[in-house]
Amino acid sequence: MRSNPGMPGNVLPVGRRGLLAMAAAGLAGPAQAQQANTLLNVSYDPTRELYREYNALFSAQWRAASGQALRANSSHGGSGAQARAVIDGLQADVLTLALAYDIDAVAQRGLLATDWMGRLPNNSAPYTSTVVFLVRKGNPKAVRDWADVVRPGVSVITANPKTSGGARWNYLAAWAWALRQPGGTPASAEAFLAALYRNVPVLDTGARGSLTSFAQRAQGDVLLAWENEAHLALQEFGADKFDIIYPSVSMLAEPSVAVVDRNVDRRGTRAAAEAYLRGLYTPESQALVARHFYRPRNAAALAANAARFPAMQLVTVDEMFGGWGTAQRTHFADGGVFDRLGRGR
Amino acid sequence: MSGAFRPANQDSPLLRGLLLAAAVLVALVMLVLPLAAVLAEALRRGLGVALAAIAEPDTLAAIRLTMLVAALTVPLNLVGGVAAAWCIAKHQFPGRRLLVTLIELPFAVSPVIAGMVFVLMFGAQGWFGPWLQARDIQVVFALPGLVLATMFVTFPFVARTVLPLMQEQGKDEEEAAATLGASGLQTFLRVTLPNVKWALLAGVLLCNARAMGEFGAVSVVSGHIRGETNTMPLHVEILYNEYQFAGAFAVAALLALLGLVTLAAKTLLERLAGREMGGRA
Amino acid sequence: MSVELQGIVRRFGATAALEGVSLNVREGEFVALLGPSGSGKTTLLRVLAGLEGTDAGVVRVAGRDLTGVPARERGIGMVFQNYALFRHMTVFDNIAFGLRVRKHRPHHAEIATRVRRLLELVQVPELEARYPEQCSGGQRQRVALARALAIEPRLLLLDEPFSALDALVRKDVRRWLRGLHDGLGITSVLVTHDQEEAMELADRIAVMERGRIVQFDTAEALLRAPATPFVAGFVGEAARLPCTVRGGVAHFDPLPLAPLRAALPDGAATAFVRPHDILARAGGAAMVRLVRQEGGGAARLVVQAGEVVLDATVAPGESLSRGEPCRLTLRGGHVFSTTGGCVQAQPLAAAMAS
Repeated sequence: MRSNPGMPGNVLPVGRRGLLAMAAAGLAGPAQAQQANTLLNVSYDPTRELYREYNALFSAQWRAASGQALRANSSHGGSGAQARAVIDGLQADVLTLALAYDIDAVAQRGLLATDWMGRLPNNSAPYTSTVVFLVRKGNPKAVRDWADVVRPGVSVITANPKTSGGARWNYLAAWAWALRQPGGTPASAEAFLAALYRNVPVLDTGARGSLTSFAQRAQGDVLLAWENEAHLALQEFGADKFDIIYPSVSMLAEPSVAVVDRNVDRRGTRAAAEAYLRGLYTPESQALVARHFYRPRNAAALAANAARFPAMQLVTVDEMFGGWGTAQRTHFADGGVFDRLGRGR
Repeated sequence: MSGAFRPANQDSPLLRGLLLAAAVLVALVMLVLPLAAVLAEALRRGLGVALAAIAEPDTLAAIRLTMLVAALTVPLNLVGGVAAAWCIAKHQFPGRRLLVTLIELPFAVSPVIAGMVFVLMFGAQGWFGPWLQARDIQVVFALPGLVLATMFVTFPFVARTVLPLMQEQGKDEEEAAATLGASGLQTFLRVTLPNVKWALLAGVLLCNARAMGEFGAVSVVSGHIRGETNTMPLHVEILYNEYQFAGAFAVAALLALLGLVTLAAKTLLERLAGREMGGRA
Repeated sequence: MSVELQGIVRRFGATAALEGVSLNVREGEFVALLGPSGSGKTTLLRVLAGLEGTDAGVVRVAGRDLTGVPARERGIGMVFQNYALFRHMTVFDNIAFGLRVRKHRPHHAEIATRVRRLLELVQVPELEARYPEQCSGGQRQRVALARALAIEPRLLLLDEPFSALDALVRKDVRRWLRGLHDGLGITSVLVTHDQEEAMELADRIAVMERGRIVQFDTAEALLRAPATPFVAGFVGEAARLPCTVRGGVAHFDPLPLAPLRAALPDGAATAFVRPHDILARAGGAAMVRLVRQEGGGAARLVVQAGEVVLDATVAPGESLSRGEPCRLTLRGGHVFSTTGGCVQAQPLAAAMAS
């Protein structure tokens, strides 16, 4: 009898009211994370160092030009994930992502005009990059070109192209080389890639993860890496540890930039956002870009850094694969070529 | 075999020694060593470098944000957790068992999913997205999102530490208070709450430690804006990925120290509680 | 204050804990609710205290309808089964609680005076600064009583207040409590499953069975004229003996017992006979299983008669020991016919003699 229900009074509404109060308090907190005197650049992972410097530069320039104090912030993450965050409401004023494809995804949700690519020079890509090899100092496994990467006994570090944008470029660069070989066909290219991934001991999920595996945990003989990441590794871990090898054929990556129309119009930051992106094309910024190991578009800046950026045969996704949409469908979608390779392993 | 007499329920000294050694070894390797490694790594280039790394503006912003999130989360969860435990322990109502299960949900669900749920609800494409946008209220990728995600993940701590004690104590004392003329609030403040105060404090401290350390859920709703929405754990990851190892480990060490201070406070509280109880026995 | 319960019904889901209970307690009276566990006595007490709601019925205290009045506004003192002392408060604070939560809280010094007076009243002034954990069971009970009395209740409810005490202390505490009641004159309702306790303490006893009060009367009346077979069986340790009535006489065959005169219609019946009405003499079909010497009175026996084991008394002038055969005669008892009739039965010889 003692365990029988008890105290008079209705209890549930109290609990519900409590929850509501909590929710209300959560919402009513300082809701605005940013005021209009900030500019948010939503970017991808390897540009952290570049934009840290450019943000400071731009803030100073903007104050000099307009008298307005503006703090430029940036947010970094996987390119696709960052696009997703902007779609979900991250208040980006500008996007500086790895792929035009990712900006297209944002444009399709109506956050910016679909013809964004034509608004700035060079397809709205103020700098380019490419895929190179990073090997141990002295190149003990004698890796000179793509053909050496599939030799038995050579361990290759690259991330999973399903999850990593950079790893897709690695994959496509290898495919492009194989297809350009005498008698190269899609079938021979597929066989080449199958051989390549047989030499990969473990697929990390992201490019930074592979770099850490290679540089810090000393895994593998060759790392397929962004050119700027390879240079960064030399800088961070010591030039006496690694060598950079330039393969005969690689991809021309054109990281794209765009203003997010809907956000800048709501926040009143259009002028600053457009100036921020245009500023990337000035000679001063192009030199900055080169310092961070991205290949500048400006001919003079490129010539000044010729030693740093050896000439290579570079192909674009559009000319080689018919654009990102097609490449994605053919190679990386579920049931695509990459999945077929996996089955052979 | 020696002929010495040993009670049947006692294991051999050798076995006991081995087990003890194993336990100490596991504790050392799994718990003490990694913490020591973090501290050592932080101080490898000297205390000055570590302190300079912490004094960096983005890092200070991350520390401030972490404190702010914890300061908002912990009181809200304190109220919510006590309310939930009180409802469950002292009352009968339809859906009571469901509430018990719901309280433990955050323990069962991956924090990443918790974060995604909030994006799904409050994101621009989410259920309340258009409504919030129309009023220019930013929830995800801003402080409210961080607080909500942290609250979700840390909700069970207070409720789960207080609930078993409240259930064990039953509702006799509350009924006695009622017959003596106490109102519901008086009963709660003078009888229910003092009876669980030590457990409550322990729960609050654990909740605080977790609120400061939460990574997964917060990572999803943060937006990773430097100096704006980066909490300490997120900042550690960013610094690490930028090869700023000194900074990364300095912040990591600070975070670990905050956790250790919390743990020490909890231990002290338990000792105080034990002394109070012991004094009465 | 007088207490009046009318048609109280309380259901828990499908089961009814109280099925239409009515009870009138006079001012200053000490009433016991007696019944086996599950009979609804504690639920009834909680209904009185306002800790339990009702599905039907009216509760009146001093003529005022208390239906819907919450416990905290009833001014009814209650001593809980396990005392429910506030474990984080000293004895002093426990007793002062009811005074401190009042809207018009008495002055600090006045509270202290009243608490000390109550501690004197329950004879444990030395416990003032102790915590409940540091008190013995008996001390806790006194503290719980003092706490309940602190609010100067119009009605005092006691829920099995002796169940947590040693058998030795119990009797003393019982007498002390009855003395306290007589001194204070507070109307009191006690819940117990122990008939000895109920008989010793209470002016009247309400016997409860399955959610109903089956008889409400003085202890003497319950023993003399039980209203139902349940009361006859539950009160006074009576043995339950099946019998058959033929021509106004109850026969116990095949048990080796002499028949009793019982003016009931022919048919099956049940007799309830107390140990002191069953007399054993040497020689016969029954057998002595155990002998228990009682101080002063005749020895009590446990005897086996056929399949039945009974408590019996040694007839005057007889002496029996374990294992000896004996014969049993009945001095009287209550016989209930299955059709509902009830008589006080008498031995055939006595009836003839009269």
